[in-house]
Amino acid sequence: MELLSFIADNLNQFFSYTAFANVTAGHLIMIAIGLIFIYLAIAKEYEPLLLVPIGFGILVGNVAFTPGLQIGIYESGSVLNYLYFGVLKGIYPPLIFLGIGAMTDFSALISNPKLMLIGAAAQLGIFGAYAIALLLGFSPSEAGAIGIIGGADGPTAIFLSSKLAPDLMGAIAISAYSYMALVPVIQPPVMRLLTTPKERLIRMRPPRSVSKLEKVLFPIIGMLLTTFIVPSGLPLLGMLFFGNLLKESGVTKRLADTAKGPLIDIVTILIGLTVGASTQATSFLTAKSVGIFTLGAVSFVIATSGGVLFVKFFNLFLKEGNKINPLIGNSGVSAVPDSARVSQVVGLEYDKTNHLLMHAMGPNVAGVIGSAVAAGILLGFLS
Amino acid sequence: MLIKNKILRVSAAIIFMALVFQITPGYSQSGLDLRINEILVHNDSNYVDDYGNRSSWIEIFNSAYNNVNIGGMYLTNDPKNPKKYRIPTGDPLTLISSRNYLVFFADNHPTRGILHLNFTFEDTNYIALYDVNGRTLIDEVNIPPQVPDITYGRAIDGSEEWIQLEKTTPNANNYTGAIVTAGEKFVVLDPYGIGLALTAMSVVFTGLLLLYLVFKNTRRIYAINLRKIFSRSEKIISSISEDKDISGEVNAAIAMALHLYQAEYHDHEEAVLTIKKVARTYSPWSSKIYTLRRSPR
Repeated sequence: MELLSFIADNLNQFFSYTAFANVTAGHLIMIAIGLIFIYLAIAKEYEPLLLVPIGFGILVGNVAFTPGLQIGIYESGSVLNYLYFGVLKGIYPPLIFLGIGAMTDFSALISNPKLMLIGAAAQLGIFGAYAIALLLGFSPSEAGAIGIIGGADGPTAIFLSSKLAPDLMGAIAISAYSYMALVPVIQPPVMRLLTTPKERLIRMRPPRSVSKLEKVLFPIIGMLLTTFIVPSGLPLLGMLFFGNLLKESGVTKRLADTAKGPLIDIVTILIGLTVGASTQATSFLTAKSVGIFTLGAVSFVIATSGGVLFVKFFNLFLKEGNKINPLIGNSGVSAVPDSARVSQVVGLEYDKTNHLLMHAMGPNVAGVIGSAVAAGILLGFLS
Repeated sequence: MLIKNKILRVSAAIIFMALVFQITPGYSQSGLDLRINEILVHNDSNYVDDYGNRSSWIEIFNSAYNNVNIGGMYLTNDPKNPKKYRIPTGDPLTLISSRNYLVFFADNHPTRGILHLNFTFEDTNYIALYDVNGRTLIDEVNIPPQVPDITYGRAIDGSEEWIQLEKTTPNANNYTGAIVTAGEKFVVLDPYGIGLALTAMSVVFTGLLLLYLVFKNTRRIYAINLRKIFSRSEKIISSISEDKDISGEVNAAIAMALHLYQAEYHDHEEAVLTIKKVARTYSPWSSKIYTLRRSPR
């Protein structure tokens, strides 16, 4: 009898440790969101390299448990906490930028450098979202971290939010990656709304060929110029241009291959999983998170509008034959290469022979530089 | 002559830049970042040392953003004797973490531990910190007449301004008022974020505009034939005009054609009749004459 009672007590205690005993409605909602992410990634192929790790991370982070067992991502000493260290301290984003640099071809930008200005104009989304976040009652640091979602750059968003508003990092990262995946859905209506049929048919001059010397000089000059202006962007910009120099120098192929291959894959797995796991329902499902998601969408719309309208304005000063198709204005947001692909797809809808992809890649990679510079400015001003 | 002048101008500009950078104070991120931060000369009812005694004390502040080991450096109250007290090495106490403090007691009791100096402030109004070589002066302070229990320190940790501090703050921040972050200041002056947006967008544009200008002119710069310049020739090859460029599309087409040719791929030509000559070279091994059995006669 005593034995049965002992076993019953232990079973009872065991049950209290299980997720069934600790699960809340919030956990279930988050698990549902994680499943949606995985569905979108596998069935719709929306950013699968990001959404699969993040979606599964959300599942991992929302298995309810009794605190104190060193399991959760926020519990000091847990394995997930160690992996999360790279997010908290901003280690992973610069490593991802190294890989992005090693896989990015800046030729389109070098051959037509005026496209860089579109990458700058599209950063309007960041500061528009910052202003709206202030109006909604977020603190300046939080508003800055939320605004960076408009840069459409996941690693930058994680890097900046880890410095300015670590508590909101999960929501900001999820929002940034979600909207990056939804670029093909968000951008086309804005592009159509802001352009005339005539503008959509503008044919741009084919990009000239770029010499190896120019390609080698670009990361060196680019790094020095941008970081001299915004030293706080050094971790991201330094690694981005370093990765590009590895690629373009032609003598460090092994290093470039590692940076754009195994290294970026490993870091993407770690960052995706841990950011996903950081969305524990207890700390994630708040009114602030809802606000962040709303602001994220708004910032993407502002960024797209900023890029498209800037091209229209810029065209006023350009001669006939040198004009830019405003449909590449959207690609100033740095979701590489998705937003450039959107330019191509929308452009082809109106002219089956007008291929805008290569032209759009210029502002697209300029957007990566622009968003890293913008992050540096926000860090310098608000931290 | 013209080229010589150009070279002279460039050299002058480089020297000027070097001078500008020379006079701009830098950050050493080393022992040179240590600062004497706060001093209490007359300690009547103030901070007590680990032996329960009250004595004069000196607070050292590590203004760097990395840990600095003060071990091996020298503290002195005598300008003629920089090596008066050598701070012992190898002790964990001497490692001052980033933006942190270490307090030394000027009680002339060096046997009480490494933080107790072998001098006092009774017959001097001077304190200095020297680097491990005993020659490089890191920081020095001439102390004006002091009031008991009121410390003399930097208004803000590491700053240049010295004042009588309102509160005694050993091992703590000298500034005890509310610290307003840059973000909080921004939101007071710019509640709607318009100022920040304009400033930040200007900086982003400036950065990328500079890149644009550089790369717009890069080809012109490296089109200059340096050999000709240094061989004192007056002619400089003019920059390549954009009209003479071969577009990337043309290059791509040529590359594709070469690839197809070298890999022996064939174009898919619909509705084109290709007349293919089927040639068979003669070989006795494949000759029907030898392979067919002769019909019996």
